[in-house]
Amino acid sequence: MRDRFGQYLQASPTVFGGRPACFFSILMIGGLLLGDARRSAAQEIPIPPQETPIPSEGTLIPAQETVQGDQAPAAIARDPGRACEGCPPRRVGTSLLQTTGINVMYELANLVRGQVTARITPKTWWTNMQQGMVWDLDDFTVNQIGHPYQGNNYFNAGRANGLGFYESAAVTAFGSATWEFFGETNHPSLNDFINTTLGGITLGEMFHRTGWLIRNTRATGKRRLWSEIGALAVDPITGANRFASGDASRVTDKPSEFVPSSLSGVAAAGVLWRGSQSSAFTAAGDPFLEVDAYYGDANVGRSRTPYDAFWLRMRFGGGSSFSEARVRGRLFGQPLTKGGALQFSVIQTYNYLNNDAYSTGSQAIDAAIGATRALSRRTNFWILGWSGLTVLGAVDSLPLGVTEKPEEEEPSAGQGVSEGPRFYDYGPGSDFGTLARITRDGREMLLFFYVGRQIYSLDGVRANHFLQHTRVDLLLPLRGALGVGASAEYFHRRSYYQDVESTIKTFHYPQLRAYLTWGNR
Amino acid sequence: MKRFRIFALGCLIPASAWAQVAQPAQVAQPETPSRLWIVAGGASGTLRGFCQDCGQDFPFRHGGALVGNAGYRVNSRIDVGADLYWIQWRNESGRIRATAIEAVAQFRPWETQGFFVKGGAGMAFVRNWVQTVGPNPDDQKALAVVFGGGWEFNPKGPFGLQLFAMQHVGALGDLQTANGAIANVTANFWSLGAAIVIR
Repeated sequence: MRDRFGQYLQASPTVFGGRPACFFSILMIGGLLLGDARRSAAQEIPIPPQETPIPSEGTLIPAQETVQGDQAPAAIARDPGRACEGCPPRRVGTSLLQTTGINVMYELANLVRGQVTARITPKTWWTNMQQGMVWDLDDFTVNQIGHPYQGNNYFNAGRANGLGFYESAAVTAFGSATWEFFGETNHPSLNDFINTTLGGITLGEMFHRTGWLIRNTRATGKRRLWSEIGALAVDPITGANRFASGDASRVTDKPSEFVPSSLSGVAAAGVLWRGSQSSAFTAAGDPFLEVDAYYGDANVGRSRTPYDAFWLRMRFGGGSSFSEARVRGRLFGQPLTKGGALQFSVIQTYNYLNNDAYSTGSQAIDAAIGATRALSRRTNFWILGWSGLTVLGAVDSLPLGVTEKPEEEEPSAGQGVSEGPRFYDYGPGSDFGTLARITRDGREMLLFFYVGRQIYSLDGVRANHFLQHTRVDLLLPLRGALGVGASAEYFHRRSYYQDVESTIKTFHYPQLRAYLTWGNR
Repeated sequence: MKRFRIFALGCLIPASAWAQVAQPAQVAQPETPSRLWIVAGGASGTLRGFCQDCGQDFPFRHGGALVGNAGYRVNSRIDVGADLYWIQWRNESGRIRATAIEAVAQFRPWETQGFFVKGGAGMAFVRNWVQTVGPNPDDQKALAVVFGGGWEFNPKGPFGLQLFAMQHVGALGDLQTANGAIANVTANFWSLGAAIVIR
């Protein structure tokens, strides 16, 4: 590994003397938005069938003539363990070992930070195994973002070692379960197990594919190194594996399954104003930066490759430093009509909303039907309706008599690990929603979004929560990729308390936004 | 009974005659592997309840369990389907039954080896005759999660045998008892068992 880095250092001595790699999120946004530049090329590439036959050992594959630079090898010997030329070799045992290694790394990091739950011993392992799973009391951010992010690392230990999507999902569950029982002194947590596994799969495949967008496997030298470092920042496990195995310097084609059929994104920067039933809109707005990225085309095509199409939304600011994350990845797609105007999909979703007025998060699986219709030669209309199961949802605890989102107390055990009380409820439920969009010349003009979610609280304040979230965006192009937009949003919550009086309480939070946009769909 | 046997034999004779005639006409078709995945077996279960706020240790209880899976073989390594788990146990006051129905996926990391892991989520139904509020048992629903692993003998054949260790978790919310509701109850069920596998 050191030798390979040494080769890079010789090739580009200023690389590690310069600025450190940017935050993964910035790279991911950059990768998705700037990857737009390669969209046209990607769209034109005919995608070969997914299951590339593996040739016998030692077969020589001629390098393509498009390889640039004098470092390109004349021929590449294909490893029989690889599903394709640019794919990682399949190593099941290594993926499980690396998953355990990730747990060790997290455990050591917690220990160094002085976290009491990191003082594990064989005795705590045995106690946890005897105890079984319980609900934990950690902070909202730790449970709804921290654990899914950790799960993404397990997932990519599978992907980086040549495992498929569903195989890597099993690796994620393995990593999550072993962490819960053996990685901490506190009791294994049911909500962590679900959030780490399902959230890890969603974020993991999204990060993995984003990493492949950033990675330029035909480049050499410094350009190649930076593309690999950028991808490593987004998907550290795959990146580290590629540097360790030497794949980071091999000139190959990208695996075809990681070349999207289309790629686009919109970044919006502006100000939002939020109100609630107890207060009108705030005079001073909250600045925000929002990114919508569209990978692949979820509206069309027969799909059996999970996440060949996904939608990502992230918002920074607007009530908290990181206030929204949504990922909707297609697991399955099937046209219902001959022309493909009607489409059936199965979608996995990850949702996180956290601002100064309310917090909610969920992991869900939905069945969706979408319809596309041309309104004119230049204008298109697309509508999607879905319904499904929320495996686990979280929403602020608002006991009777409380009308404002409670402030989370300073964690009693540090780093978001709390001994309680917890200020949000957990439970399974169901959801349904619709998304409608009108585009003109390929640019989004009108966007309507509605989701209704029911959460039956199993841990926390005993109630049945019904959450409704509506948003309408109007967008106008200004010049080139620049545009202007305004949106109105409404978050409505109705809680049916299971008290003697069967109390019903409603809470609502309207929201207005004005923003500038860059990019297009 | 005798009449029934004669009738059954009467039905079978033409069928076997047809089979003898039809056999030579059959054209050898390439065998399509079945996509069916069925598991049925039994287990010895141990369970333990827990509640966040009651501050007491609950004893381990033991009971017999039935386990079943039915579903679809996605490929040579992955099976998906439904999981049914049924367990009954007794304490000094009576008996309790729990049935869990989950969507599960089973994954064999090494195609030629029998080692597998399994995981899923769904619902559990608990029927409680112990400390009930009225004369009838209390029925309760719960969020259920399952995970575990095991070894399957003859994983490539149409019939196999698996030995497994599974953990089912049921999150009940409130448990209704004659002494009032107990809040935030979870129950863990550990099982060791064996099952036949049909593919």
